[in-house]
Amino acid sequence: MDNIKIIVFLCNWGPHAAFQTMQENHDQIPPEVKMVRIPCIGRISKALLFKAFEMGADGVALVGCQSGGCRYGSGTVNGEINTADTREIIELLGLGKERMRLATFLPDQVEKLHNFLTSFSLDIKQMGPSPILPDAPFKAHSLSFEKISGILTKYNAYGCQDCGKCTSACPLALSGKTYSPRLLVNAIIGGELESEAVKQDIWSCLTCGLCYQICPSDVNFPAFIGDLRAEIFYADNSERHQAHGGFFQSLMRSMTTPALKPQTYQSIPEDVEIDQKSDTLFFGGCGPYFDVFFQNHYRVNSSSIIHDGLRLLNFFDIKPGIMEHERCCGHDLLWTGDHRNFLKLARLNVEAVKRRGIKELITACPECYRTIAYDYPKYGIDVDFKVTHLYEILENEIDKGAVAFKTLDQKITYQDACRLNSSPEIKDLPGKLLSRIKARDFAEENIHQQTSVCCGNCAWTGCDAFSKALQVKKLRQARGTGSRLLITSCPKCQVHLRCAMEDPLLGPELIMEITDLTNLIAKTIYWE
Amino acid sequence: MVKQQRKEVIITGFGGQGIVLAGKILGMAAVLGDKRQSTLVQSYGPESRGGACCAQVIISDDTIQYPYITCPDILVCMSQSAFEKYQAQLKPEGVLLTDRDLVIMDEQKDHFSIPATRIAEDLGRKMMANIIMIGFTIAITGLISSSAVRESIKSSVPPGTDKLNLKAFSKGFDYGMAKLKGLRKKASGRSGVLI
Repeated sequence: MDNIKIIVFLCNWGPHAAFQTMQENHDQIPPEVKMVRIPCIGRISKALLFKAFEMGADGVALVGCQSGGCRYGSGTVNGEINTADTREIIELLGLGKERMRLATFLPDQVEKLHNFLTSFSLDIKQMGPSPILPDAPFKAHSLSFEKISGILTKYNAYGCQDCGKCTSACPLALSGKTYSPRLLVNAIIGGELESEAVKQDIWSCLTCGLCYQICPSDVNFPAFIGDLRAEIFYADNSERHQAHGGFFQSLMRSMTTPALKPQTYQSIPEDVEIDQKSDTLFFGGCGPYFDVFFQNHYRVNSSSIIHDGLRLLNFFDIKPGIMEHERCCGHDLLWTGDHRNFLKLARLNVEAVKRRGIKELITACPECYRTIAYDYPKYGIDVDFKVTHLYEILENEIDKGAVAFKTLDQKITYQDACRLNSSPEIKDLPGKLLSRIKARDFAEENIHQQTSVCCGNCAWTGCDAFSKALQVKKLRQARGTGSRLLITSCPKCQVHLRCAMEDPLLGPELIMEITDLTNLIAKTIYWE
Repeated sequence: MVKQQRKEVIITGFGGQGIVLAGKILGMAAVLGDKRQSTLVQSYGPESRGGACCAQVIISDDTIQYPYITCPDILVCMSQSAFEKYQAQLKPEGVLLTDRDLVIMDEQKDHFSIPATRIAEDLGRKMMANIIMIGFTIAITGLISSSAVRESIKSSVPPGTDKLNLKAFSKGFDYGMAKLKGLRKKASGRSGVLI
């Protein structure tokens, strides 16, 4: 079969000896198999495994030493975990989990390895080529002074008054990092864009927008950073500070392939009512992927937000449709500078929505909301349907009356989501909804909107010790209110804050229950 | 046109709550909007300066021979004393509607309640509780078409307040519709989201 590509990550120790014997014996190794010799399968992360698929592999095998035979102790176990997670994710993505396999061999199991390679290669040939098209190479262009100057002008960065209010509001600066939006702008104006320190700072920005709220010259710093990132992204291939090995960016880039048919909604609970003929669509988002990726940590359950969101719509007699092959909205590609692939995703999404004749798209994710409602039109994608956040519907329906909330015998506090706060139509809704919930006490002092401490990361980029410091600070602040239940409204806030709670040293003093506002409403609302 | 049943409605409450105006709006809507017959009898005298006040409205497709009501089909109560005075007169299959915060029942009677005065306060004007009550009554009973009532409200309330009053009507109407939806949901055994 033509052009089938199989990547075999082969451990240096056990199986490589077997592989060498195969070569010495002149055994027929399937020509599709491209072997990559590695020191230990335990170090081949999910990001690396998936990267192979992103770059066009049709099958990937992780071949290591048998359990107990690992030279480094935990290699086989790590390989098993990473393989299991990657298999689940490529299944969700519609590639089929059989394209990824793990096998372990002793040095003398030559025939067994040979059989494995032959049968794996046959299976992949039967499955056919992977639908993923590798990202077309782009010609790196050099950074031009005109372009950068244009961006500086566009956002009125030359109007910086050197007052430093931005730094005083910046969560990164407040967490102790040597970081200042003002100095960054000055350095760029001074022509230092090529310097490593400046580039690093551009990737560190959380794009939360707190500085923009306070800036007397009205410099839209997050949008400014967004445009700069896009410029740098296509100018060189230097380090982009992507968290989790760039796994999520790879995942989203893969989704730009039109032939790919993601299967995100395999596990919708039976009690959820869906009407595929409805002209209302529920856009769930990437929660199911997070759940798999983080399943061995943090007890993340983002899918439950999607399910409870659908249940709440059902509760109010709204039966929306769902996209059979839903893709990512593109938020993270947009904010990590990959505008080309962001636009591909945006077009695919809008086409799919239009093809179904959708009049209203409902989402429970602040990032999906902001990206589809604001950023698609901003980048020239015509959105001719209404984009609604679930909270708008909930507030509207609950305001009609005849519903009540079960009493919650807990003091609650709230974590603001930056993407909600930057969308004027919906930024007040979490506060309104929270005030309806019958909690024992609501630590309202923690709703800050403009001045709330961020969850520490954005668009899976620039995670470092300061992100962690920020999360620790946030959790201490939340616990300081006396509350033990933190309400979030963005799945990523949950991922990040739960991560901080896993700290082996600080963990016990940070741990508190976290639940999404959608989950909490679903749990407590009832018809009176 | 299919003949609709003759309905007898008593609206009661304190004097000053706009009870008579509510009766007038209902009757006008039935006549001018829905082209049916209607009569209104209002209590007159000391009641209008406090105490139990009452408006009796009959809506019918045929000529109404006698305007007084002894046993109403629909009873709307906006005060405790009014409820105690009139509740016994309600027909067994009649519909009882109350302001939840103003009428407290000892024994649980089948009824629909709405915190009309509280909602009116949230809207900024306590005196609009009557309009909210009208919206609620229309949603629950389907007595008159809501478009007719809206027109009638516009022509009855003081000039300049029609927008706010229509909003109040919608509030009451939406509450009533939500209430019916909730009852349907409860009847099908699903009162919450997760159960």
